[in-house]
Amino acid sequence: MTQGTTTIPQQTTKRQRSRSLPTLVGYVMLALTLVALLLFLVLPVGMILYKAFRVQDHFTLEYFRLLFANDLQITAIQNSLWIGVATTLLCTLLSLPLAVINARYNFPGKKLLAGLLLTPMVMPPFVGAIGFQRFFARRGSINLLLLDSGIISTPIEWLQGDRVFWAVVLLEVLHLYPIVYLNLTAALANIDPSLEEMATTLGAPRWRQFKDIVWPLARSGYFAGAIIVFIWALTDLGTPLLVGFKETMPVRIFNMITDVNENPVGYALVCLVILITSGIYALAKITTRGKSYDMMSRGHVSSAVKTISALRAAPFYGLLTLTIFAALTPHLSVLITSISSKWFMTVLPEHYTLDYYRQILNTDLPLIGIKNSLLFSGSSMLIDLVVGVFIAYVVVRKLVPFAGLLDALTMVPLALPGIVLAFGYVTTYTNTVLDPFTNPTALLIIAYAVRRLPYMVRSAAAGLAQTSVSLEEAAATFGASRLHTMRTITVPLVSANLIAGCLLCFAYAMLDVSDSLILAMKDQYYPLTKAIYALFLEHGSGEFVASALGVVGMALLTVCIMGASLMLGKKMGELFRSG
Amino acid sequence: MEVTFDHVSKNYGDVVAVHDLNLKIAEGSLHFLLGPSGCGKTTTLRMLAGLETTSAGRILFGDKDVTALPAAERGIGMVFQNYALWPHMTVAKNIEYGLSLKRLSAVVREQRLKEALELTQLTRFASRLPGQLSGGQQQRVALARALAIRPTVLLLDEPLSNLDAQLRLEMRDNISRIHRQTKITTVYVTHDQKEALSMGTEVSVLRAGRLIQSAPPRQLYHHPATPFIARFIGETNLVNATYRGEEQGLLLFECGFGHLRAKRQAAALSLGQAVTLSFRPETIEVSVDGAAQNSVNPLRVFLEHLTYLGESEQLALRTADQQVLRANIFNPPEHDLSEGVAIACNVDPEHILVLPVELDQGAGT
Repeated sequence: MTQGTTTIPQQTTKRQRSRSLPTLVGYVMLALTLVALLLFLVLPVGMILYKAFRVQDHFTLEYFRLLFANDLQITAIQNSLWIGVATTLLCTLLSLPLAVINARYNFPGKKLLAGLLLTPMVMPPFVGAIGFQRFFARRGSINLLLLDSGIISTPIEWLQGDRVFWAVVLLEVLHLYPIVYLNLTAALANIDPSLEEMATTLGAPRWRQFKDIVWPLARSGYFAGAIIVFIWALTDLGTPLLVGFKETMPVRIFNMITDVNENPVGYALVCLVILITSGIYALAKITTRGKSYDMMSRGHVSSAVKTISALRAAPFYGLLTLTIFAALTPHLSVLITSISSKWFMTVLPEHYTLDYYRQILNTDLPLIGIKNSLLFSGSSMLIDLVVGVFIAYVVVRKLVPFAGLLDALTMVPLALPGIVLAFGYVTTYTNTVLDPFTNPTALLIIAYAVRRLPYMVRSAAAGLAQTSVSLEEAAATFGASRLHTMRTITVPLVSANLIAGCLLCFAYAMLDVSDSLILAMKDQYYPLTKAIYALFLEHGSGEFVASALGVVGMALLTVCIMGASLMLGKKMGELFRSG
Repeated sequence: MEVTFDHVSKNYGDVVAVHDLNLKIAEGSLHFLLGPSGCGKTTTLRMLAGLETTSAGRILFGDKDVTALPAAERGIGMVFQNYALWPHMTVAKNIEYGLSLKRLSAVVREQRLKEALELTQLTRFASRLPGQLSGGQQQRVALARALAIRPTVLLLDEPLSNLDAQLRLEMRDNISRIHRQTKITTVYVTHDQKEALSMGTEVSVLRAGRLIQSAPPRQLYHHPATPFIARFIGETNLVNATYRGEEQGLLLFECGFGHLRAKRQAAALSLGQAVTLSFRPETIEVSVDGAAQNSVNPLRVFLEHLTYLGESEQLALRTADQQVLRANIFNPPEHDLSEGVAIACNVDPEHILVLPVELDQGAGT
């Protein structure tokens, strides 16, 4: 600590000084954190809202009038809303049986299958879309297979008209169902089995037990996951962009970013996204308000988990493997694309090659992408680690009066779409030191950090909540300061949670789409995902190199997520909830 | 309703939870299943409720075989150890739930709810959620919910184990009162022998999945069937001894610190047979003035430790062969005994029980 900040009078004893200094550091850190959150979370959103209602220097609704007068925009809004609704419903239908199986049954191989069920979540739908397109193209594998077997006589246009809508929904569902599944599983597992047993003794049939007891108790957990799915599907940029579904809000916003200063309707559209997402969020909060119940103490004998033999679990194996297979198909197709040579008019490639992987190492763009992504993601991860642990500590230990507010603020990015934040950054920081048009490095790192902060805070908070305060108090009785205690006692105890949080932050930053696509405007600053996108647009072998790069990205991500999953175990689900 | 277990067993794979249980629970009784944790008492209760299947044997309600009957059709009311209150329903809704499943008319439902609330003194709390109640109140809601459906058998699974000591005493009286008022055949599982002794009309002691003894509390205390029960029900001194024949109408035993004489027992003994003698701490007569008494069973011991409790005094006594015996003196007179002194004691042959030797005396308390 520098002398300037020490205002302690001379007569203060050494003991007192050693305590108040760290306290001061704590408050300075808290202030800095709050300022950062204001600058990079509140301000950008505020700027969009401000500009959306402002012409010259007075209030206007003109941009919204223009927005709603444009049929194309209306279609885009409708399409996106329907993508959100359809994805959420289908995710629910798919996840419910999976969650019931996971929460209620035990059978050989369950752990492995339950783990594999989560893999789609970490596979970016954006990358999967590349392979998906190859399979479903006019002369893609699916059509050729159907033609060869005589089921159809002319190729089906899978990615035209209405079908492109369902293609996007399918990709979103296969990517996002684990979020509903994790939340439902956690909610179901949390219900004390004796609550249902009691109803059994009273003669309630199973469907009534579900309606009267299980559903009311699992509802808030379900909604927490479903809202995230809805908002993510609604605002996902990568998938519709790659599949070529231009009439969606995120794609329109993406296309408006470059000329936003000439066409302020963009502000109105982003503003609308903010209103929709916060409206949905508020609605869910209201409907589940006061409907969250602490479970009473649990019985000691009964276990809800029923062990069944492999034979009796056969239908479960069927459902689980089918789901996993379907969810991984887009990514498998990316893998196949990346190693195919001369793939034309055949169901599967005729020859295989590793050429495209060699090209990654020999061309500039892929290498720049990897290098930039490692740098950006690594830096953002470090920021998240420091800030996240600090916030979690302050919040869990309720060290400041407004801890709840701080927690809520940190969690906002979970529900705040990436396109909104990126759009806000462009709006707020163009023509400043941080101008993304000149060098987006700082903004990209900050954007990554802000958007993944919730994972870090949740991970750390989960660990801290399980670490008894008395362990810290014991250290305090020996005269250790709070910061010292935190460093020597608390952090080592929650290290597993912190590693898991870091891996998640890093992995998700590596495969971030919206911020990367919007903020990185020059080749030399392209992160991995934007490089993939740029390669994908190139003619010739671009698509194949993009696939190869996508496979590299997925491999990186898989390793990270598996590590995180090992560290966190069942608590993984808690990271993907809205409140 | 009389409840009968007829050769009932329960295995989980190779683990035997309950072994060949034969037991009759009399109509209207408050019957305790007592034993240390893992003894099979809760499994027994859950089989009775229909929440566990039996591996072998039959369960009868009256003359009716209910072994294969689903829980809902047995007409039982159950109180779970953790109460299993539905946290999203009010007290009234919790109680009414079972009634609504029985398709009773609204009037009857209202009536039963009112009764159940009154019986458990919960009328004021009808519209509260379980989370807004204290532990004792929650326990009463669980009881009210089970009673509202007018069960033929009431099953209580460690209903007081989550309450603090003071509340536990109150709730004991409460449950006893409700049992007296309703006369419902009640099966009560607990590991707390005080609960069983103070409330039960009959107590069945289980150990490692086997029923060891079933008897009214007083009989259980005064005539335990095995050293385990003697030790589990109250405190006792257990001494290994060998039968040496009869002497002046009493049975003579030789033990590590001399000889002990006991009253004749029903069971026949053979010379040289190994037995375990049991006598309660309060049956040791301690002469505090140190004067040796002329008695049938004089004990020569050293006072090792003394705990003064006001209305009583607990003594740890060391015998010549280094065994420690416990003695209790009630209304202790003033004395100047100090630790380490030799004192004279006596045990009335009336109070010495001759029990079979148990191989694993140390285990399972």
